Amino acid sequence: MTAIPHRSSQGRIGRALVGHGQVLVVLGAIIALFIGVSFVNARFLSPANLTTIFSGNAYIAVAAIGMTMVIITGHIDVSVGALIGVLATVAGTLAVAGWPMWLVWLAPLVIGVAVNAAAGWLVAYAHIPSIVLTLGLLSILKGGLIVVTGGEWITDLPPGFFLAQRDVFGLPLPLVVMTVLTLAAAWWMAHFRFGRTIYAVGSNLEAARAIGISVERTTVGVFALHGLFAGISAVLFATQLTTIQSTVPPNLELVIITACVIGGVSILGGVGTVIGAALATIFFATITSAMIFTNVSAYWLRAVIGGLILITVLADVARRRGQA
Amino acid sequence: MIPLRVTDVSKSYGGVQALKPTSFDVRAGEIHALLGENGAGKSTLIRIMSGLIAPDSGAIEIDGEIVHFRSPRDATRHGVVTVHQELLLFPDLSIAENICMADDAGPFGHIDRDAQVRKARQLLAELDSADLDPEMPVRHLSVAQRQRVEIARALGRQAKVLIMDEPTASLADADVARLVAIVQRLRGRGVGIVYVSHKLSEVRLLADRVTVLRDGRFVDTREAKGMTEADMIALMVGRSISELYPKGESRIGAEVLRVDGLTLAPRVRNISFTLRAGEILGLAGLVGAGRTEVARLLFGLDRPSSGRIFLDGREVSVSSPEAAVALGIAYVPEDRGAQGLVKTMPVSANVTMASLGQLLRGPFLSRSTEYAAGAEAIRRLGIRAPRGPQHLAGKLSGGNQQKVVIAKWLRTAPRVLILDEPTRGVDVGAKAEIHALMGDLTRQGLAILMISSELPEVLGMSDRVLVVSQGRMTGLFERADATPERVGAAMVAEMQEATAS
Amino acid sequence: MSPTSGRLNLLLSHEAMLAILLAVTLLILSLLSDSFFSTANLLNQVRLTAEIGLITLAMTLVIITGGIDLSVGSIAGLSAIMLGLLWQKAGLPLPLAAVTSLGIAVLAGLGNGVIITRFRVPPLIATLATMAFYRGLAEGFSQSRSVRGYPEGFYILGQGEVLGLPTQVWILIVAAVLVGTALSATAFGRTVFAIGANETAARFSSLPVDRVKLIVYGLSGFMSGLSGLLLVSRVTTTRSDMGMGWELDAITAVVLGGASIFGGRGTVLGSVLALALIQCLKSGLSLAGVKADGTIVLIGLFLIGAVLLGNLMDRIAAR
Repeated sequence: MTAIPHRSSQGRIGRALVGHGQVLVVLGAIIALFIGVSFVNARFLSPANLTTIFSGNAYIAVAAIGMTMVIITGHIDVSVGALIGVLATVAGTLAVAGWPMWLVWLAPLVIGVAVNAAAGWLVAYAHIPSIVLTLGLLSILKGGLIVVTGGEWITDLPPGFFLAQRDVFGLPLPLVVMTVLTLAAAWWMAHFRFGRTIYAVGSNLEAARAIGISVERTTVGVFALHGLFAGISAVLFATQLTTIQSTVPPNLELVIITACVIGGVSILGGVGTVIGAALATIFFATITSAMIFTNVSAYWLRAVIGGLILITVLADVARRRGQA
Repeated sequence: MIPLRVTDVSKSYGGVQALKPTSFDVRAGEIHALLGENGAGKSTLIRIMSGLIAPDSGAIEIDGEIVHFRSPRDATRHGVVTVHQELLLFPDLSIAENICMADDAGPFGHIDRDAQVRKARQLLAELDSADLDPEMPVRHLSVAQRQRVEIARALGRQAKVLIMDEPTASLADADVARLVAIVQRLRGRGVGIVYVSHKLSEVRLLADRVTVLRDGRFVDTREAKGMTEADMIALMVGRSISELYPKGESRIGAEVLRVDGLTLAPRVRNISFTLRAGEILGLAGLVGAGRTEVARLLFGLDRPSSGRIFLDGREVSVSSPEAAVALGIAYVPEDRGAQGLVKTMPVSANVTMASLGQLLRGPFLSRSTEYAAGAEAIRRLGIRAPRGPQHLAGKLSGGNQQKVVIAKWLRTAPRVLILDEPTRGVDVGAKAEIHALMGDLTRQGLAILMISSELPEVLGMSDRVLVVSQGRMTGLFERADATPERVGAAMVAEMQEATAS
Repeated sequence: MSPTSGRLNLLLSHEAMLAILLAVTLLILSLLSDSFFSTANLLNQVRLTAEIGLITLAMTLVIITGGIDLSVGSIAGLSAIMLGLLWQKAGLPLPLAAVTSLGIAVLAGLGNGVIITRFRVPPLIATLATMAFYRGLAEGFSQSRSVRGYPEGFYILGQGEVLGLPTQVWILIVAAVLVGTALSATAFGRTVFAIGANETAARFSSLPVDRVKLIVYGLSGFMSGLSGLLLVSRVTTTRSDMGMGWELDAITAVVLGGASIFGGRGTVLGSVLALALIQCLKSGLSLAGVKADGTIVLIGLFLIGAVLLGNLMDRIAAR
């Protein structure tokens, strides 16, 4: 009658893999894609293309770190794409205005934290459901951005601005930032008090309260952190191209949320890792690139990704039923 | 030194005194059982002692010093830890993380996971539960295993006093014995245990002292030695069972429902019985024995893997609750709040919910018919709803909520009424009214299948008693033969077989 | 939702407040601009808002059941594309192409319903996935080529008039009355509320929970498809990105209209009033010289403010 599988000899690694089925599936899919597509077209593995896949999408993975935390706490944020658009424009505007570069890069982080801390405060203390609040915030940021900028693109950016085009240790900076932040966040969430609190609140609100966790403070903290990652994401996004469009990147929030879900973060809260979300981001980028290199019509791209998302979600449901 | 003593604590809710001044204490290395019927004031007293609510008057002392609990965390800091009925664990986190969640962290809030696992493993070993892997997520554990995790967590917090609120209420039979052993082990370590349970056999086995509450009032504290279950019941109800359940003459008619070999492993195995018009068949057994599962099969919430159901001698297929209602089967579920009521809707909407077809005027629901239905239910069942049919169901008392659920099913004109824990969480007065109603209904020819965890209720109300244990039938008694001893023995029958083999 | 209790409640109801707000907005706008408060302009506004309006009606039901449907814009785009392709490429007669693409939209909605009821995937996730999938199908089938040159008769849907009123006005009125009546006065509507308030209790009360959910998501698909067709007829072309972002507009209207995002509460009247308010703000402010995007900001503030105010009033009422 005890439903516990016996401690097997598979040891630490084996046990570490238990409960990360989704992450493994995504990782396996990425590897399979790389092997398969490189047979069809060897240029798929060219440094230029690898840079596009890993570095060009790093800003999505960085934003997904914060989103992962928000979803694990049991909330959602549909405004993050708009926030990234706004913060990118802020960075560009300050750069053109001739501010010192370190301030230009820092400002989006500070503003991101401030905006989302306020959002978190309204969710936690004014009891506005996060989906409603961020829906409203999305409108405000999206409309506000165009009203303020008039929709004009920012060009003539100073040469020192393009942080994302730099290399560190011979690797593109966005790739390094993405990797370091993802691993650091994963470690922090697993081994530190506040990281653990996030899981506790999302897993069982009442139990968290009963052992004295302040659910409200946790919520504000998580949203503020999410704002920090959105700020970093915005800097990477703003500095990788020579112009900033001053509009909200379409559907960015949905790409980020989807990456989290495909990466194994439960929309019901309490479950997931930032590593899964980062892998899912790379997975999307790989598919996009793979379709180009295998001459599949780009117009079917979204259908393929959408279909894959559907299959992953249904497979996840099937897997959980099997466990129950 | 007395680790926990409360003196003359009382509590009122909105003018109703839920607990009149009561004193209670627990000594180190003692199991002190707290007994009382639903609504007797037990849960209020526990909530005061565990820091969930502050008493209106009286004092709490820890080791002789007066303290004020501002929160459960505060109580925990003073060494008073509660194992709640609804186990407050984090299903997505591992056993070790659950056990150590409230522990202090290192610099920068760093947590040493290996140390957590070691601590958890040691605590579990002390509870003779080394079979639980500390790195396993709690989600995969059974209720009994989760309970052991909660107890380990309490131990890890250096609990001097452990309050256990109905710890065996949702345990399957074999797990009860294991829990009893653990509780005895804790007593051996000098922990003071407040033990709340409805199962008097357990209390007799475990308790050193017994305190009884009735109607919010302190009745007595006695040494447990020498007390019989009958003594305890007498203290709890203040009356004997025959006074409490004035069962009228029953006129039993023809067979209405026959169940033959009903099976949905592992909770329901080869269950067969008949139910006749005007009869109350009591379905007894420990929680987890498969009683509710039988009801779910009869009501079409689950489908049996084998077995047949006959209504008036014709075999029927109960494929869904809709089919069950069409066949004249009604089910008053055990969890009123989650399964029985839509609390945000008024009484009238709730009582008509299973019979919306009766409200139709053409394609539309008739508001006036709905209102009348609500008014009729209130009148017929004596529901106390000051705002009448518009009164929100969630704002009624437990007993009146239960009457609303029963009224909902009576409107479907059922032949067979399944009542699952019909008086759980219902005050003494409403309980008597519900019992009287059951009598009236059977006199009108309704066949009732009653599931109850309260043995006195089963024995007092039933014409026959069917006992299940671990999904199997272990006894069927006529009213005259259904003594507490026989029924009780049948309730644990399989468990003894299992341990014997 | 429940029979009203007392005149004070009626006055303080969310719908009444919205109506007052709407009246004040109309008054201010008519003072700011002479051209705003003309019959022609008002009717034109209804024309512009009809597509989102139809989706909002269905979304009201979806949200009252405690669900959400993010795929509505994608379904609208898909049905628009299918109309164009079936007519131009497959050579179907236009009416048949229209009916077929509506059928596809209903199937898409039912697909959501099946994923949600049979596989028990949370609606947010299920429709997030189909949002990408249905949009992808639209892009794939169309290869990003637009279809133009529909016969004149088709434009009566989006540009024409029936009995002196824009066609969309009639469609929207009929749809609102039908959905509103179904929600407030039928067993189906009662079930919708019961599911949102307590799905388990609804199931235990023998209500057909899964069937009603399927119908609700199917209706959402139908309304989305119909909106797609109206849009094609109004703008005389078919593109695969049609309907992008509609889901957020519709959800905003429903929540602003007083529905609880957790289910169990909401009215068609509230949603319609909120929709009217949003459209008035959009058009009125642009007439008065405020940039169109500025109104989006206001709508966002309105949404948050409305919920904040609602929470505040609930707390006062609870005292």
